[in-house]
Amino acid sequence: MIISVVSGKGGAGKTTLAASIAQVFSAEFYDLDVDAPNAEYFLQPDFSEKNPITQPIPVISEDLCDGCGICTKECRFNALYKILNTVYLTEPLCHGCGLCKRVCPQQAITYQDASVGDIRSGYSQKTNNMVHVGDLVIGSTRGTYLISEMVKKIALDKLSIIDGPPGNSCAAVAAIKPANLVVLVVEPTPFGFHDMQQTEQIIQQMGKKYLIIVNKAMNAADVEKYFKDKTKKAALIIALENRYHKANLQGEILSQKFTEIHADIKHAISQELTSQ
Amino acid sequence: MTRQIAILSGKGGAGKTSITASIIKMMNSVVAVDADVNASNLPILLPHTQQSTKPYYGMNIAQVDHDQCTGCALCLSACQFDAISMANNGRILIDSDCEGCAACAFVCSENAISMAERKGGDWYVSSIDNGYLIHADLIPGEDNSGKLITKVRNEASAIAKEQNIAYIVIDGPPGTSCQAISSITGADLVLAVVEESLSGLSDYRRLAELVQKFSIPHFVLLNKAGFSADVEENIVNAAAEFDGTIIGRIPFDRKIPEALQKLQSLAEMNDYKDIIIELLEQITSSLKN
Repeated sequence: MIISVVSGKGGAGKTTLAASIAQVFSAEFYDLDVDAPNAEYFLQPDFSEKNPITQPIPVISEDLCDGCGICTKECRFNALYKILNTVYLTEPLCHGCGLCKRVCPQQAITYQDASVGDIRSGYSQKTNNMVHVGDLVIGSTRGTYLISEMVKKIALDKLSIIDGPPGNSCAAVAAIKPANLVVLVVEPTPFGFHDMQQTEQIIQQMGKKYLIIVNKAMNAADVEKYFKDKTKKAALIIALENRYHKANLQGEILSQKFTEIHADIKHAISQELTSQ
Repeated sequence: MTRQIAILSGKGGAGKTSITASIIKMMNSVVAVDADVNASNLPILLPHTQQSTKPYYGMNIAQVDHDQCTGCALCLSACQFDAISMANNGRILIDSDCEGCAACAFVCSENAISMAERKGGDWYVSSIDNGYLIHADLIPGEDNSGKLITKVRNEASAIAKEQNIAYIVIDGPPGTSCQAISSITGADLVLAVVEESLSGLSDYRRLAELVQKFSIPHFVLLNKAGFSADVEENIVNAAAEFDGTIIGRIPFDRKIPEALQKLQSLAEMNDYKDIIIELLEQITSSLKN
């Protein structure tokens, strides 16, 4: 059972909600916001393990390469370039597709594993479960790959929470794909609603079951107005209160500190989990 | 000569877009770029009139000619992205995981696979009161490569040159991956909007590391400040560590999100207008040197 927490817009409260859901249900946690992972500040795992995630990349044999440059022309990702008669690789651009190896007339290219990032894992006393954090090499193009590799490691026989990346690109799709239930977090601002609608479109296209949590609500009337003619209503509305904001930015898990949030999240999620 | 200012934060929701729009509104003339192409919000805050729309094509996608295909399945083993499958009736299917590498087309002995254009979104040129706005909409779920960001930035440079506009202001994407790189390469200055929180600090450090790699000077604007003196001190220290200059501090104030609800930026708020003018002066004077 996998619950993915996503939002479209950054800063809506994905990590805040994901950490709370994991705390309420003592679930295993996967931080898949791999180029800005933050869940560890809330969950404080002991990080006992660190495993590299690798992708095969080409290694060009200087002895065999005759500098014909066919690989540089064939590479669709512009990851290979030639200066004089030597071919070089721009590693962060390489998708590991293997085409260069196939096209090389000299068979000068072999593939070797290279790191695209790490998964740090550890036990959290706050959720009484494991936490896994994906760290993408800064500036890498391989975020979606790292997310997919982490998803492959998720055990399906227990409850796991995915803290997804912001945005509506293929990285978000990769984080939504494995989910049995998607929690869509929205900050009720014109920006928040705009970005959320795109995410909602993706979730619906993928045929995923989902619920909406409104976070940082300033004005109940604005929220009501937005959802008035929508078929999908908000399952939970969390107000923008200074005490929540303060606890949050100091790294406290809202569901642990505030009993009303604990109860509301438990209620909203349990309802969805049981209504299969 | 045109100067380019990129506004980023690392963390999402730190206030990039509201600060960007506020600064833009205070400028005499500017080309504004929304480089957050898969959650584009700058156009919401900047009244604009669309002048042109152009399609954006991302990576190509493999396409099977079923009349030629013999079902040998060589392509299945060549694909590193698990994007090819064979249906029960033997038909080869390509799904949206295709990254456009063309390895399948190369291995196909029947020449049954070709690479076709795949629309990734649209990009737009609009006029605003004091210049131009270039933004894009990626089709939800498409690959957010830096290609589209490069495209909108190139267009911005062309317009700035043609219209003799001195500044390009770029509203960057969250995160520190290739999209962030595409947004800062060639920029003269990065303004990091840092939310006063542990997450904000952590993501700022990743961003600052990236900016330093490109040897671009950067300014830091503390945002949503006033809850934790400790966190604020840590951000100040981190800025010093990465040679970032702190040029302003905006407190956590409910009036700001309330104004945003009405599509007003800080430039339209009496309490903050002067802070924005002051920020802009610091930015422009640093670029004169």
